[in-house]
Amino acid sequence: MNVIEINQLTKYYGKHRGIENVSFCVEEGEIFGFIGPNGAGKSTTIRTLLSLIYPTSGTATIFGKDCIKFGREIRKDIGYLPSEVFYYEHMKVIDVLKYSASFYDHVDMTRIDTLAETLDLDLHKRIDDLSSGNKKKVGIIQGLLHEPKLIILDEPTSGLDPLMQQKFFELIKDENKKGATVLFSSHILTEVQNLCTRVAIIKDGSIIKVENIHDLRENNYKKFTIEFQGAFDMSRFKFAGITNLTQEETTVHFLFRGNINKVINSLQGQVLHNLLVEEPSLEEIFMHYYQKED
Amino acid sequence: MNIFFRELKGNFKSLLIWCLAQFFIIYAGMLKYQGFSSSGVDINKLLEGFPKGLMAVFGVGSVDVSKVAGFYSVFFLYFMLLAGVHAIMFGAVVVSKEERDHSADFLFSKPVKRYQVITPKLLVGVVNILIFNLVTFAASVFFIALYNNGDGLVDKVALTMVALFVLQLFFLALGAMLGAVLKTTKLATSVSAFFVLGAFFLSVTVDLYNNLEFLKYLTPFKYFEGKVLMLDGTISLSSVGILLVLTFILTSLSYIVFNQRDLTT
Repeated sequence: MNVIEINQLTKYYGKHRGIENVSFCVEEGEIFGFIGPNGAGKSTTIRTLLSLIYPTSGTATIFGKDCIKFGREIRKDIGYLPSEVFYYEHMKVIDVLKYSASFYDHVDMTRIDTLAETLDLDLHKRIDDLSSGNKKKVGIIQGLLHEPKLIILDEPTSGLDPLMQQKFFELIKDENKKGATVLFSSHILTEVQNLCTRVAIIKDGSIIKVENIHDLRENNYKKFTIEFQGAFDMSRFKFAGITNLTQEETTVHFLFRGNINKVINSLQGQVLHNLLVEEPSLEEIFMHYYQKED
Repeated sequence: MNIFFRELKGNFKSLLIWCLAQFFIIYAGMLKYQGFSSSGVDINKLLEGFPKGLMAVFGVGSVDVSKVAGFYSVFFLYFMLLAGVHAIMFGAVVVSKEERDHSADFLFSKPVKRYQVITPKLLVGVVNILIFNLVTFAASVFFIALYNNGDGLVDKVALTMVALFVLQLFFLALGAMLGAVLKTTKLATSVSAFFVLGAFFLSVTVDLYNNLEFLKYLTPFKYFEGKVLMLDGTISLSSVGILLVLTFILTSLSYIVFNQRDLTT
């Protein structure tokens, strides 16, 4: 079953493009990555799903219900972490969390303490005394507090130190294991790599690709680093399947997809200093996608 | 209910300051009356010497300010101005401040409909203007009684406060509408200030130039006259009616526009 279905969603702010014909689905129980550079339209898509803004055209459903018509009903089961968290500066953390909880039925208030403990957050400080990382933690807790069926995270890790990010990922994985579906937007690709099952890549307001993260990495791309001894002939590498070809002094880097013997043959008679064949990181694969689009 | 109490608490300090200011203005104003009446100077004669324009700005028209009711009726213009500013600013800010404070994404992603946020906020507005009104009422009766042999003119002051409250409601709704229509809180409060001051100067202009009398329908400050309320003890029911209808229209507009608004982060 699809928890989120987005169909040809378009949003213009006056003449300014927000998103154009965005379509993708998020299945129940998965952690779905939503990847793109800043300004690509990730927040616009998410904020439309929550009917914080209204689409110019197209539709979206959550739990099978139209996200505008049944907005209130749907939002009972959504936990949302906005990309920018400020909240009520003069309130104490605990009061913000209690205020947040007051909008939902049957909230287990002991979760405030357990979540705060996990994330190492002082509940009795005022919001305006918190660092941006700690404000983010308040955002995370208010998003998870009511045990939502769908968790929507917009750039959740910015401001968190690596240790805290790790704890946060564990938290998300736990919620996911308990049955929550997660939509996770980010411009940092490596964090998605280890968490998500599928990703949608958005650029300039349009979806470029929706792919299984496994397929994406297993797409037979290999990352080659070849270090030559002395001079060599760059033109050897001008054949189909090679992309992102770069050279620095006697070292050549490229991505290759296809029959690996082609590369081996091209190296015949060369004296090598070093040869590395690796799985490319997602970052490199995405760079490849973006470049292809340009 | 949570939004209502949150908002009530958040506005408590500002309401306290407004009420204290109003209390002090009434106190200081009535102190001047004591100055006039005890010095034995014929204040009406003295004022005749001033240019008409100046008198109009200060709201001292054709009333006998040597009597306490007449003197107090002059205050009504300032009450309208102050209460108007208070109410319109409250309306403009309360509707738009979640976006200004970047808490709109937090609040409106909760399972609430837009109107379920606006309604408690506007109700807090009504509570606030009512408290401001009651403080004005209590302070007025108290200080009038002080200089009027213990007679606080409760009936007439009460009638004046009814007129004031109708105006406050109107300004609250106007502010809310501006807050819903305009992009930012800053813009909404600027336009609100422009509206109140514009209405005030228009009412002064009407006082100054008799041939501009027809303009009086355009400014809410001309819908009620202090001297009619305080001296005749009557209130213009047609003014009450018009203002209430306008309040209703403006409030409905606020709801409709806000419901369709794209919230900013």
